[in-house]
Amino acid sequence: MSQTKIKCDATGEDLAFNPMEYLREGLFPHFLCPGCGHGIALRAMVWAVHELGIDKNKLAIVCGIGCSGRLGAYVDANTFHTTHGRPLAYATGLKLARPDLHVIVITGDGDCLAIGGNHLIHASRRNLDITCLMLNNEVYGMTGGQVSPTTSADRYTTTTPLGNTEAVFDACKLAEAAGASFVGRELTIQTPSLKNMIRDAIKHKGFSFVEIMSDCTEVFGRKNDLGNSAEMILTQKSTMRPDSYGGNIVDEPFRPNFLPTGVLAQTDRAEYGETYRAAHRAKGSAK
Amino acid sequence: MSNQTSTNKRENLQGNHACALAAVAAGCRFYAGYPITPSSEIAERMSLELPKVDGVFVQMEDEIASMGAILGASMGGAKVMTATSGPGFSLKQENIGYGVMTEVPCVVVNVMRGGPSTGMPTRPAQGDIMQARWGTHGDHPIIVLTPASVNEIYQQTIRAFNLAERLSTPVVVLYDETIGHLVETVDVAGAQEIELHERKWAAGEADDYLPYQPDDDMVPPMTRPGDGYRTHTTGLTHGEDGFPTQDPDTANRVLSRLYGKLEHNKDIVECFEAMDTEDADILIVAYGITSHAARSAVHDARDKGIKVGLFRPITMWPFPEQALLAAASKARHIVVAEMNAGQLVLEIERLAGRDRVQGLNRYDGEHITPADILSTIEGIA
Amino acid sequence: MSDEIEIRLSGSGGQGLQLSAKILSRAFTDEGKNVAQSQSYEPTSRGGMSRSDLVIGSDIPDYPLASAVDYMLILDQIAIKGAAEVMRPGGTVITDVKLTPEPPRGDFKVLALPITETAIKLGNVRIANVIALGVLAGLGELCSRESLESAVGSMTPPKFRDLNMKALRTGYDMAAARL
Repeated sequence: MSQTKIKCDATGEDLAFNPMEYLREGLFPHFLCPGCGHGIALRAMVWAVHELGIDKNKLAIVCGIGCSGRLGAYVDANTFHTTHGRPLAYATGLKLARPDLHVIVITGDGDCLAIGGNHLIHASRRNLDITCLMLNNEVYGMTGGQVSPTTSADRYTTTTPLGNTEAVFDACKLAEAAGASFVGRELTIQTPSLKNMIRDAIKHKGFSFVEIMSDCTEVFGRKNDLGNSAEMILTQKSTMRPDSYGGNIVDEPFRPNFLPTGVLAQTDRAEYGETYRAAHRAKGSAK
Repeated sequence: MSNQTSTNKRENLQGNHACALAAVAAGCRFYAGYPITPSSEIAERMSLELPKVDGVFVQMEDEIASMGAILGASMGGAKVMTATSGPGFSLKQENIGYGVMTEVPCVVVNVMRGGPSTGMPTRPAQGDIMQARWGTHGDHPIIVLTPASVNEIYQQTIRAFNLAERLSTPVVVLYDETIGHLVETVDVAGAQEIELHERKWAAGEADDYLPYQPDDDMVPPMTRPGDGYRTHTTGLTHGEDGFPTQDPDTANRVLSRLYGKLEHNKDIVECFEAMDTEDADILIVAYGITSHAARSAVHDARDKGIKVGLFRPITMWPFPEQALLAAASKARHIVVAEMNAGQLVLEIERLAGRDRVQGLNRYDGEHITPADILSTIEGIA
Repeated sequence: MSDEIEIRLSGSGGQGLQLSAKILSRAFTDEGKNVAQSQSYEPTSRGGMSRSDLVIGSDIPDYPLASAVDYMLILDQIAIKGAAEVMRPGGTVITDVKLTPEPPRGDFKVLALPITETAIKLGNVRIANVIALGVLAGLGELCSRESLESAVGSMTPPKFRDLNMKALRTGYDMAAARL
């Protein structure tokens, strides 16, 4: 899909791309559990950064709390591990004060949709040029596997011992309705597509929201007997959480009952930082 | 260096507006806030003043986001402020703790109203003295300044920025609704002859740079995105390299230095006023609007031949302990007058001994008057 | 200390009392005085009790809040609570005869004047606050007429300037008639 001219192998990977050039090697081995999808997401992100040729010194990664929140520390950039649910609030201040930076938020389903849900709504509405990557693994992994706003129906977690009875959030619909000017969803199993999605999200001028379907093998997969990590990620290809997203399921010929992926919404609404500065210059109040 | 926002003349200025003008004069270029009585005039004035100096004002979706946004902007290199009142101050606390732990300069204004909970939004109180000290969880140092007049709000807000920048820490400016809405004649031009400080920026080799390696003043220089250091910032307990650790020695060293940097720089942190305390048999301790009533009562009592003095903390926390003990050296009685159920009195009891300390308290949304304090003095004398 | 004057302007929210206080403050400040102006209001913007207190002196006052009021304006019965208690013995209370049917009683003068009625006659009930300023200044010789006229001129909207100046004159005339 990429228009960029790069040397590729059969998987589409740029042969010149070495993810370790974008990671803090000294922190390895990393903390992620075997089979966790978050590592794939992180790889896709630095791959996108590589493709875009972004200066690491101008890259700011702002994270919240949870497994997703720990990813930032591994990136060789300006990294901020903030408070639970608030990375979008911190990123808003950072981007308004420093429009020269590329600001990427890495958050999780609990961080972004539960404790930080209000900030997602208003970041979408405000439309600052921030890229928000929400890693959805359906569970609060770091705290031991509690139910989250995206846990599928009937799934067992440590706080739904009889199976989850609450409805799930469709984060993409939420972001789109609130005004996010770029909304997409991608799977960790489709790593090149995920990379392209993140790249396009970063390139997009305005608030971009990407829901990344990840897998928690250790505390979610095992609890629900979803197989090993390979089996879990393969499940992404077939029927991923079909019941939970009732209204949004599209019946594609080759992927029946599949959660829609790809760019789900995109508009060229004005970016807020520019709007703010232009408005105040226009009204003559700026020096 | 700052843009002069006022003309060279005496003005009748509201306390909250003085706070905003002082912030801009101190170099504040980013403000995030959320509307709340009785502090909203600060946000309103900032929304007007910041664009004039190419600064940014943003009204966030809530109090928590406002606190997060100013920390984000400060980590980007800007001088920042937010303002709120009791309920909002409660909501900001977790992120204030983040600012303390990550050593990010910021100024947080709390205009106190009647509490607890939503309490009395338009009535004055001084009930957040202990919250300002201990509002966020865990052991932590904090600087809290308590101005008592419009002119002093101006001066202390500038001082708050200077301390935040010099010591890389959140600074709380704490005053009551009465002072916030009081309009006084001030000489704004005169008040602007104040030295400004900016945080120390990291210098030297970027490779293996240790962002939390302190200088001799116990304060580490700051890095910011774009300057090549690519550091990590986390609220988790972290070593000099900025990365999280639970190593007991490091944890001990980190917290000890956070406390130590305030203690080490006590000379610039502490601020107080002692009036007629040399021979004082009775010492009144008061702050904010209550200190005006105390001053008036002290003058009246002195006219009647009673040896009474006033001690007024301008830096509330860390409390100026030695200065209080000096002011109270001859005092048989110490009266702590405050518009709450008894908060600072606990600290004064701790320092001066319970036997000679008593509280004079009011928490009905009305002021402690000069007459209230005078009659207490006469009752003792 | 000795030349301190305390003034309270009180009534209900929406009567323009906060603006009156600002105008009066400006007039005093222009004459070199120091002013401390405090306010008390209810959480609602309109209809609740509203008052603004001025403590004026050559020096910065010890206590910036009113504790012994020399001149008090009461434009609405809602502001009556606590009024008598805060008056200085021998002080002056000016009330609106219609909106303050039960004025405070005590060791002070009470002048009940048709302030809002006069404002309506002049064409706009909203200038009652400026008429009241004229009455107050005329009775008390608090500040020079020039200072007050200049403050009213600079702090009221241009299109209502003539009306407000007329209101101020009317207030002075009402005061002169009662002296």
